[in-house]
This record gives sequence, structure tokens and C-alpha cells, in this order.
Amino acid sequence: MSYKNGRRALRSLAALALAVSLGSVSINVRAYVPTNRDTKVAPEKAEYTPEEYSEYELLTETGTVRYYWREDRDILAIVDKQTGFCIKTGADLPFSGDIKDAVKALEKADASAAEILAAAESYPDDLNTTYVGIANSLITIEYYESDKIKYLSSASESGVESALSKVEDGKYCLDVHFTGIDVQIKVYLTLEEDSVDYHIPYGEMSGAGLSKLAAIDVTPFLGASGGRMNVMNPETLEWETVDNYRVPGYVLVPDGSGSLIRFVDNTSTFNSYVGDVYGRDYATETYYSFSYYDDVPVKEPVMPVFGIAHGDGQMAFAAWANQGAEYMEIIVNPDGTRGTTYTWAYPRFELNINYYQLYDEKGSGFFKQMDEIYQYDIDMTYAFLFGDGSDGTPAADYTGMARAYREYLIAAGELTPLEAKEGDIPIRLDFIMADSKSGIVGNTQVKVTTAKDVEDILNQVMAKGITNINSGLIGWQKKGESLSKPYKMSFSGAIGNKNEFKSLIEDFREKGVDISFSRDVITINKDMVNYYNTAVRCISNWYLSIDKEAILPENVPTSLFSYATPTKAASWIKTLADKTSDFSGSLTLAEMPHVLTSNWNRDGVVTSLTDAAALYRDTLEGVNGKQLLNLENPHSYLWKYTDRYLQIPVGSSQYVFETDSVPFLEMVLHGTMELYAPYANFSFYTQDSILRMIDYNISPSFILSREPSYKLADTFSANYYSTEYSLYEELIRQVYGTVNGVLSQVQGYEWTGRYVPENGVVINTYQRGSDVRYVIINYTENEVTYQGTAVAPESAAVAEYPEYSREGGVNNG
Amino acid sequence: MRTHGKMRRGLLLLAAVCLMLQLPMRVSANQATSYTYAADENGYWVRTQDAYLPDKTVTELGLSAPEDLFIDENNMLYIADTGNRRIVKYDIARGEVTAELTSDEFTAPRGVYVTEDGDIYVADSGTKAVLIFSADFRLKGKLGRPDAPIFADTNYEPKRVAVDGGGNVYLIGEGVYNGVIQLAKTGEFLGYFAVNDADLTFAQRLQQMIFTRAQLANLVDINPTVFTNVFVDRSGIVYTATSGTNKNGMKKHSTNGGNMFKSNVWSYDTLTDLYVDDSGLIYTCSAEGYINIYSKNGEEIFSFGSYVTTVDISGLFTTLPSIAVDRDGNIWSVDGSKGYLQSFKPTEYAQMVYTAMDLYEEGRYDEAMERWNQVLKLNQMSILAHNGVGKAYLHAEDYEASLEHFKVANNKDFYSQSFWEVRNKWLQKWLGPILIVAIVLLVLKKLIGILDGKRGRHLAAAKKQAADKAGSLPVLKDFIYALKTPRHPMDNYYEIRKYRQGSVLSATIIYALFFLDFMAFKTLKGFIYQNMKVEDMDIGSIVLGFFILLGLFIICNYLVTSINDGDGTFKQIYMIPAYGLMPAMISLLIVTAVSYVLTYNEAFLLTIVLIIGITWSVITIFLGLQTVHDYTFGETVKSILLTVVFMVIVAVIGIIISIMWDSLYSFLAAVGKEMIQNVL
Repeated sequence: MSYKNGRRALRSLAALALAVSLGSVSINVRAYVPTNRDTKVAPEKAEYTPEEYSEYELLTETGTVRYYWREDRDILAIVDKQTGFCIKTGADLPFSGDIKDAVKALEKADASAAEILAAAESYPDDLNTTYVGIANSLITIEYYESDKIKYLSSASESGVESALSKVEDGKYCLDVHFTGIDVQIKVYLTLEEDSVDYHIPYGEMSGAGLSKLAAIDVTPFLGASGGRMNVMNPETLEWETVDNYRVPGYVLVPDGSGSLIRFVDNTSTFNSYVGDVYGRDYATETYYSFSYYDDVPVKEPVMPVFGIAHGDGQMAFAAWANQGAEYMEIIVNPDGTRGTTYTWAYPRFELNINYYQLYDEKGSGFFKQMDEIYQYDIDMTYAFLFGDGSDGTPAADYTGMARAYREYLIAAGELTPLEAKEGDIPIRLDFIMADSKSGIVGNTQVKVTTAKDVEDILNQVMAKGITNINSGLIGWQKKGESLSKPYKMSFSGAIGNKNEFKSLIEDFREKGVDISFSRDVITINKDMVNYYNTAVRCISNWYLSIDKEAILPENVPTSLFSYATPTKAASWIKTLADKTSDFSGSLTLAEMPHVLTSNWNRDGVVTSLTDAAALYRDTLEGVNGKQLLNLENPHSYLWKYTDRYLQIPVGSSQYVFETDSVPFLEMVLHGTMELYAPYANFSFYTQDSILRMIDYNISPSFILSREPSYKLADTFSANYYSTEYSLYEELIRQVYGTVNGVLSQVQGYEWTGRYVPENGVVINTYQRGSDVRYVIINYTENEVTYQGTAVAPESAAVAEYPEYSREGGVNNG
Repeated sequence: MRTHGKMRRGLLLLAAVCLMLQLPMRVSANQATSYTYAADENGYWVRTQDAYLPDKTVTELGLSAPEDLFIDENNMLYIADTGNRRIVKYDIARGEVTAELTSDEFTAPRGVYVTEDGDIYVADSGTKAVLIFSADFRLKGKLGRPDAPIFADTNYEPKRVAVDGGGNVYLIGEGVYNGVIQLAKTGEFLGYFAVNDADLTFAQRLQQMIFTRAQLANLVDINPTVFTNVFVDRSGIVYTATSGTNKNGMKKHSTNGGNMFKSNVWSYDTLTDLYVDDSGLIYTCSAEGYINIYSKNGEEIFSFGSYVTTVDISGLFTTLPSIAVDRDGNIWSVDGSKGYLQSFKPTEYAQMVYTAMDLYEEGRYDEAMERWNQVLKLNQMSILAHNGVGKAYLHAEDYEASLEHFKVANNKDFYSQSFWEVRNKWLQKWLGPILIVAIVLLVLKKLIGILDGKRGRHLAAAKKQAADKAGSLPVLKDFIYALKTPRHPMDNYYEIRKYRQGSVLSATIIYALFFLDFMAFKTLKGFIYQNMKVEDMDIGSIVLGFFILLGLFIICNYLVTSINDGDGTFKQIYMIPAYGLMPAMISLLIVTAVSYVLTYNEAFLLTIVLIIGITWSVITIFLGLQTVHDYTFGETVKSILLTVVFMVIVAVIGIIISIMWDSLYSFLAAVGKEMIQNVL
């Protein structure tokens, strides 16, 4: 295979030489061994041989790509006109049965070697018939046969009929009839300039077997790498197993801030990565009760997007859901999972579930599926990225994927770039004011910060020269956060009465500090509210129950929780916003922005996931007109109304097969809202963490109290191990000083690239007009020099370079 | 902690049964993949600031069923890659494999140990030998089956190995329950180094006593305690890990094989490995994936890890057979079934805890305090740190400052010591003035008495008049009567029997007061004597228990005595205990009040007061019952015993009814639902 475009190759070579000459590591004291919390250097160049596409029919051609179609295997091939790079929606593999039969027959008939060789097409060694069907398919369906899930693909060997027809120019329809279970599905393909849109309308699904459908998987093998073929040795005429070319590259998953799963040959068998977009819908899980355990919950995707990159700045795609995101799961099967040597990734759209229907308190019940499948349209866009981005288009890597997705969100009005502002970066200082513990009679309020304390502390922080502050007050109500009703403006004299809060907020508004009430409007317990008509009912018609015993102290008033129904949560937000808008120009919402559940009753669904998301959007749209919204790790359907993104994930859930962490989420959102790191108090205060804030371009945040936090030891807030302001005075100054020292120099700049010249060093490129600045982050223990700037060990520096340079990070091709 | 351990074990089973319940949940900000737990002031595991973060995940080594890890002086990690019949030498600093030790002799190399000289000992249970290699991988020796006659019948399949400075070899053998096999350098069998005491439950002891040998042989030992690993630190101390028990599964041995830990050390009952670093910290791991860290004295410091089978996340394991600790304090571990390495980096918090503990141990209290204060900065809830700071203050004789820390750490012994000093200081300062005031008051009282006597005793008369007046007020009169009853029980109860004294209303008021007094005693004692925090109490059951016991006693006594010729009416029986409660009530009050100023040294005083008060009350009530029912001593004893038996019966019936009620309720509810769905 050979890489075609000579001009580009030359440029890359020159750039490589430049990189080597610029990047000089003086004394290599200790090699930096990266972990999966780092971003490693880009994969190697992929090799590529152009194909003839003789089995394919040319559907259409745009300025950028050619679209080919292979009818017998239902494969769409997208070919970059400039480079010849091709990506196919399927693995393009033959079924082995016919080949083996044919060869055997020839052998029996003593046919000539040439005849046998001609018939002996190579066939996959590690895929059975079902999997060859899946590997080729444009869509694969999963269906229930009793409680077990089975697969049928649009390109299965049997049990399916499919045909592509033209609807209009650039628009086609694949009509798939899964005769095996009698389900008919229409997939509309819109072939754009450099993207493909798949639309699967619910209204056009039909057939007697529809209720059996468990899920639809879209192009499961698009961009897959790996595989092993049985190839006939022309000399011995024996079948031999040969590994396919291993494409250097990775899958990007929206796990936490973003994570790469590089294509590697694993020696172990792992479980698949399942990223349930917008988190699990607790109401439709198998059971109605959940328990926290000793493991930290995984970070769930807040956005319906993933991508695959081949090579280094050569070919990639970013894929996102326009519709059906609430039911979408992003599945990645790294090499070794599910018995294949492929690494493959795809979106899975859930349509039916298997759940346990209880009929008494003791837990007796039976497994069943819904009588009718979820009713929603699936719509996916696949944007194809070619080249290293030097032509101004998004680069074929994760930075390009972030850019493509960001541009889509901006075009759709979901994100709006903020006006460029220079100056200091902001800092978030939250206050924990009170919570409750068990007392002799009922529960007792434990107060650790008063309204007056907040005033004192903020004044002290401002006296140190930190002025761009915003604050959230947690546990401001009587009895604190966990036991007070979410919507009630109930004040306790001990913490601060209404007037004290009012004057506190107003005084600081004049000083340019925004203070808001913070509230979790979705986590409830029976000591707080009556569950009737308030708590989410699961599909089994039981109240959702979440047991936090393992993560709370033994003696808290209760360790059983539930979630409020979307309707209740939305109405509480409204009430709270109405009441607090007299006080504060902003409102902080905890938990709710990253919890999405449906609600059910005996007759079926009351609020579906789609309805719930829409309800929250409507509610926040109303609030956002009057108040700024500070949302804790919000799902993408709330980004339109998010002014400050709190507790933004940094790094991934650290699946064993995840190789890198990348600031994908941060690159998508940069400059459209303020982004705040997780609280530095808890294991996020080290130099490495500070560098990560600079690398990910996020502002620091702290949670503070006046009194020692051990007073909270018997409350729900016992996980705030350390919050006393006097202990943090210096750390706030130090962390903010370091982060602001670097990031204030690129405030108002657009973050255009991220490049890893060597393990442990990251160069972020920022641009404003023709002004280009580089932030060089050195995680290693050695001094490094890039862009003529020496960066001390474990520190970051800003370099200005008159010209745009690819090593600077616009692309890493 | 111990109970929690059991509970966790239970949870494990539960989790295994319903895997579906164990779902990953909401977002968390930090980089840890499991929570870190430390002991709280009551010894329960409570979540704490992360102690270790998963660091490097090395998946590309192609390990197959690795079983053992060891890190040598040069920070080289040796992996017993059992499935691939090799020992892999991995350079931690460079993150790559530097060499591979293979040998024709390898069948199942399961244990590896590297001496200070660089000799590599490999325990191979397939070859049934310990193979000794030089640092350049030359086979130097082979310790085959010892030929000592005493070892004749024993299985010899070495699976873990450790070597002390003198060249003695310690082996864990497959199927050897007698102890750790100890061999001399020459391979000669020296005996079993340590032996696990049979830890029998009550039922097992009973079985041992009464079962025949055949019956005993038939018993399936569900939880055998088995040595699973042995470790020798560089000073030659031998440590062992035992599975099958939560108690003393991790041992530090003296030269004669005894356990150096005096008190019980809790550990997971599936311990697979333990490792000791140069500072003496002990690390253990359990098969499910929990890692615990203990101080050199066996105090539990941290526990982290989790049992998860459905997702593959760094820091969580399918099986965890072995751990090792490198020169930088990073823990290295290996997943036994998936064959990848995982390292954990100590956080600043954990490192600070370790340094502070070391400094304290070395007697450098000032520096230790400084470190402990830094620990508190990161975790104000750290019991270890509060104890550390408190003790440092105690050593510096700043007793007042130490009090707050001991209070947070719930360290009553040390609090008591500090408090004794504080009180002593206070007494030294104020004893003189107090004595003077007391003497002056006494003299004044005497003077007033003398003066009053001279002036016609008006004051005394007025006092008596006031007392008489109070005595004639209905309730107050009864109350005074109750105060007098313990002094003349027979006479006073006789009056009650004759309906000449006492009232139900007053008895009720006395019960109410006693209840308040009792609750104050339960919840409001001074810190040293308040054994349980109010937050930890189940107030509901205390209140319920109090009234149920009292009510049951009265009712049962009435029922019992009415069929046993007792003369007392229900009203009188209701009044009997009330009128006898005064001594107990006063003693509880005294104890509650005085508990604020007494230390553990004077605990006996409180005990005496309580014993006197309660005994007095019991005797009074006993005499009351005897008098009111007109019983002899024997009859009274009998009636009380019967009352108690009856109370027990009623309680048992109550419990049965409450259990049945649940079933009845769910039955009725099911019928109801069925009717609503199908009939209506």
C-alpha cells in the first residue's frame, strides 16, 4: 500500500524534520511513561492502496468525495477524491461457507491448481456467518428470542432482503425486510458534500415482529480495524491464516472529557465499552433498585458523539445523533471482545428492554419485555474528515472531530460563541453551609458556614487580588441540602435569614461577584418528600430506589434515595427560579443536569426520555431568560442554556483498554460557556492536576466552609473531607495564580489545535485573527524546549510564534 | 470494621447473585476508580480522601494467568507468568520488559522471590521444586522434595517462595495445611515455620466434642484457613497471608513463628498476597481486588478496591493474585485472569500519613505534629491524624489543645488522660478559693441557725411551715412521699396498699420524670462516659424499649399475681415501681452530672453510685410488691420470676405476630391488586 498525495507527504516530512529540530530534550533524566490519563503521541501513518471498486456502483460524487454502493453486501464506500482514501460502512467480506464448499468440490473433482486458486477467495477466519453479516451490514438489528438477544443484519446470509432505491438526487432509501422475524425498516441515506446522514423513521417500521426488536445498530463495522483471513497458499494449496493489515488509529469515545481506544492487538479478552448516552435510564433497567458500591461510578457520556481516526491526520469520521440520542449507546468492542480480532465501534439504538416485573414485596416476579417498542426516529450524521487540517478543514483526528461537532452544534444554535473577552480567568468558589444529621428527636441541622462567613471569605479572597469570582451556596436552606424541600425558600437564622442572603448577594453583585443558590432538584428521600406522585416510578411500576449505604456514614438519617419525576423536577426548578430571581442573577443546579430518567405508571410510559429532555429544555429556556444558569456536568440537550459548566470531567473512566484521555468535550465547548474543573479540594490540587486545568483550558473551583469539615462527619456531606477556608487560603491563591498566569494570556482566543510532540508534552494552539499563541504543557520531569521556549519540568508556558506552525498543534498530521 | 467486613462479604455475594443491580452510576470528578476507606472513630470503614490512584495500565505484555510479583532493589518487577512458563523482568522506570527468564525446568512457575544478592527463586508446583537462578539467569540450584522422614507423606508442590538473609527458604505448598514449609539453604527440611490455630466456631467445637471420627471426617470444611502467601522483608521478618478468616489473616512472625500482632488484625478472608516495603508498611490484597494497607503494628490505614466483573476498569480486577511495592511506594498488581499489570500511585495524602506515622514512631513528635496537621488540611475527618495531633499535643503537654482532637477521634482513653491534666491544673488554681467559699457558707449557715435560735426560731418555723404546705399540695405531697418511700418501704407501701397514700397521676408524673432522667443519662453524659454518640443511637427503639418493658412488667405482674392470690390491684401495681424509683433516678442524675468532671481514673465512683441507686430501687420495689400483694419473700420471688417468664412469652408472641403480619399484609395486598386488576 502506498500513500498517494505527494505534495502533502513532502509537507509532512518537512514538518517532521522541523519538529525534530525544534523539539530538543536536553537531559533525559527519566523517561515519561504515559498513563491512560495522558494523551500519547499520534498514531503512525496508515498505509493505503486504492481500490478499483469493480463490485461497486457509483452513486454520486461531490466536490470532496465519491459515494459507491455494493448491493450484495449493502456497503457504502466513501472515497476522498484528493487522496483516494476510502472508508467503507462494512468490512466487505465474503461468507465462508460457499467458498469452502466450492473449493472442496473442485478438490474432489481433481480440478487444476489454477481453478482451485481462482475459487479460493480469502474468507474471514475469526467471524462466523452471523458476524460476517454484521461486519458487512449497513444496519444490524438485535431482537429478543425469549430473553436472549439475537442478531440479524441487512447483509445477513439468510432471513433478510434489502434493496437500495433512489429517492431524489443525493438521497437514497435502503428498504430492509428482515423476513426471519418479519420486520421492515427503511433507512434513508442523504449523501452530503462530505457527510452522510442516516434517517430511520419509526413511522416507516412495520411488520409483525416489530415488538421483538431490541435495538438497531448503525454501520457496526464502519472504520473497524483488525481481522484475520484464511488465505489459500498458492504453492501448497492449503488454507493459511493471515492477519489483516492493522490500521494505526483509534476510536474516540465521549467517556468523561473524551478518551481514545487505540487499535491494538490485545492478549486478554475484555468486556465491551458501553457508553450509555445521557447515562442510564434508571426507570427502565432490569430492576428498580440500585446500590452504590466501593467502585467509583463510571463517567457517562454527556453527548451523543463518537469517532474513529485512521492513521495520523489521514482519514477520520465523527458521528453524532441528531435524533434518538436519549436511547443511544456507543459500543466499542476492542480486539478480543466478542470473539473477533477486530476493534469495532457503533451506535446502538435501544428499542425494547428485558426487565423484571415484580408482583410482590418479597421480590417474586418474572422477566418480560415491553409490548411496544420505543417510538422515536433515529438520525445519525457521519462527518468524514480527510487530511491534517492544513487546508483549513477539520483535521482527521480527535481535534478535527471536536471541531466538526462544534461547528454542527453552533450551526444548530445549540452553542453560541461568547464575545471574546480578555483578562483574568474566572474561579468558582462554592460554599457548603449546612446539612443534617440524626438527633435525639428527629434530625439536627449542622451548620458550617453562615451568610456572614461567605461575605468575610469572599472579601478576603478579593483582597488577594482574585476578583473574577462566582459562587454557589450549597445547603443554604433550613436543615441543609439533603432534607429540605428542593423548592422551598426556607431560611434558618443560624445560617442566615432572608435579608442577610439578599444583602450578601446584592453587595457582591456590585463588586462583580455572582453568588447563586445551588440546589439538587432531583435527588430525593422519604425524609424530604413523600414519594407519592413525586418519585420516579420504574417500568415495573415500583418507585426507583437508590441505596447509598456503601458511600455514606453508618449513622446518617437515611441512605435510601430516589429521583424526582421529570415533571416534578421541572416544576421545582421553575418555582426555585421564580423565588431566587429576586435575589440572584443566576441559579446553580446540581445533579439534575446529568440525570435523565423516564417515568412510568401501570398503564405505561408517563414521561419518555425524549419528553423529559424536552421538558428540561423548555424549563431552562424559561429560566435562562431571567437568570444565568450554572449547571453541573450538563447533558448536551442543556448546553444551549448553560452559562457555566461546573464539574466538567477531566479524563475518562479509565477502562483498561482506553489508551489516552483527551479534552474533546472542552474543545467542543471552549469559548461558548465558562468551564470549571472539579473541586480542587479532593485529589485535584497537585501540580499534575493544575497542569491538566491549563491543558484542558478550564478554570479552577473550590468548595469552602468557615468551620472545620469534620463537623459534617455524621451528615450526608461527609464526603467533603476538607473545606475549611483557613486551610485553603494559600492553595486558592497558588492554584488560581498558576492557572490564570497561563490561561489569561489566551483568554478570548480560539482554541484551534492540540498536538503531542512527545509523551508528556502537549502543545495547545490558540488563535485570534492572525495572532497565534501556543500553550506548552510539560508534564515530564525534564525541561523541554518547543517553539524556542524552554519549559521547566512540570510546568506550562506560553509561546508566541509569528507564524502558524503545524507542530503548534493545529493538526497533528 | 469487622462487622462491616462481614457485611461487605455479604454484599459481595449479593452482588454476584444479582449482577444486574451492580450498575455503574453517576459521574464522579476524581481520578480514582474505587473509593478509599479508613476506619472512623467507631472502627467502621468510612470513605476518605483517595489514598492511591490507578496509574499505569500495561496490557501489552501478553501475560497468561500470572500469579506472583516481586520488585527487587533496582526497581525491577519480576512477574511469574505461570501460563506462559516464564518469569518476566519488567523495568518500572522505563516501562518496558528488559528480559525474560525461561527454563526447561519450568512447568508451572507460580512464585518468585529475588534476594538482595540478585538470586531469583522460582517456586514451580509442576516441577515440584524451587529453582534458583543467578542474576544473569543461570540455573544455580534446585530445591527438590526434602527427604526428611517427617516430610514423607506431605505434598510438595511449592507455589510461593520467600528467602531470608540466612538463605532459609519459606514455601507455601499446594495442599499443605500444616504451615509454611521451611527449608535450609541446602534444601534440608527445618520444619513448619508457622502454624495457623484452628479457629473453631461454637458449633464446630460442639461437633468436635460429640462427633465420632467418621462423622468428623464427613464434615465439609466450608472455610478452611489456608496459608496463601509468605513474604520476608529485608530485615528478615517473615509475614504470612492466610485465607478463610477475617481474623488475623495477615501475620507478622517472630523468629519462633509466633504472631507479633497482639490484638486481632482484620483482613479480607480471601487474602492472596502481602508485601512489606522498606518502612515496614504492610500491603495485602484479596482475590476479589481489595488492597489494604496496615502500619507496621498492624493498624489498618487504608482500604480500596472493589469487586466488579462486568466492566474492565483500571484499578478493579477480575482476580487479584499478587501485589508488590516499588521503591517509590507505587503498588503494582496484576490481573490474574486478564493478564495485565496495574500500578497505583500514592496520593500526597497517603504519603503524608505514612511520613507522619514514621516520625511519631521515631519519637519526633514536633515534626509528626506538623505532618499530621498537613494531613488534616487534606482530610479534616482523618481519625489517624486527629489522634496523631492529639498525641503530639499530649507529649508537648498542651493538654487543652489535645482535647478537641481526641474528641473528634473519639479516643476516650487519651481524652481522659488529657482531661485529668486539665482538671488537675484547674483544681490547683481554684481549690483554695472553693474551699474558702464553702467554709464561709457553712459558717454562715451555722451563724444563722444560732441567731435564729436566739430570736425565737422564726426562720426554722417558717421553713417547717413551707414544707408542710408543700406536703399538702396533691402531687407534690405524693412526690415527697415517693422520696421517703425508699427509706421506709414496708410502711409506705402499706399505706399505698390501704389507698391512704399515692396516686396514679403522681406515679405517671414520676415515670415521665424518670424517663427524662433516663434519656439524659443515655444521651447527655460527659464525652468520656458517653459511650455512644447520639447520632449513632436508635432513639426510637430506646424509647419504645423503655415503655414496653415497663408496661409489660406492670401488666404481666398484674396477670401473674391475680392468679396467685396477690392482693394488689392494677392501680397499685402501676404505682409500686414509681414509688421505688427515686434512688435510681437520683443516681442517674448524679452520674450524668458528675460524668462531666470525672476521668476514667474515677470511673469506679460512678459505678458505685449507680449500683447503690439501682440496688436500692430494686429492693424497694421488691418490698413494695411483697407488701402490696401481701406475699412472703418466697412468693414474691416466685411471682417476679413468673412475671419475667410471662414477659418473655408475650414478647415472643409479639415478634411472631409482627412477622406474620408482614406476610398477611402482602397476601392481602396481592389479593387486593388481583381484584383491582381482574375483577373490577
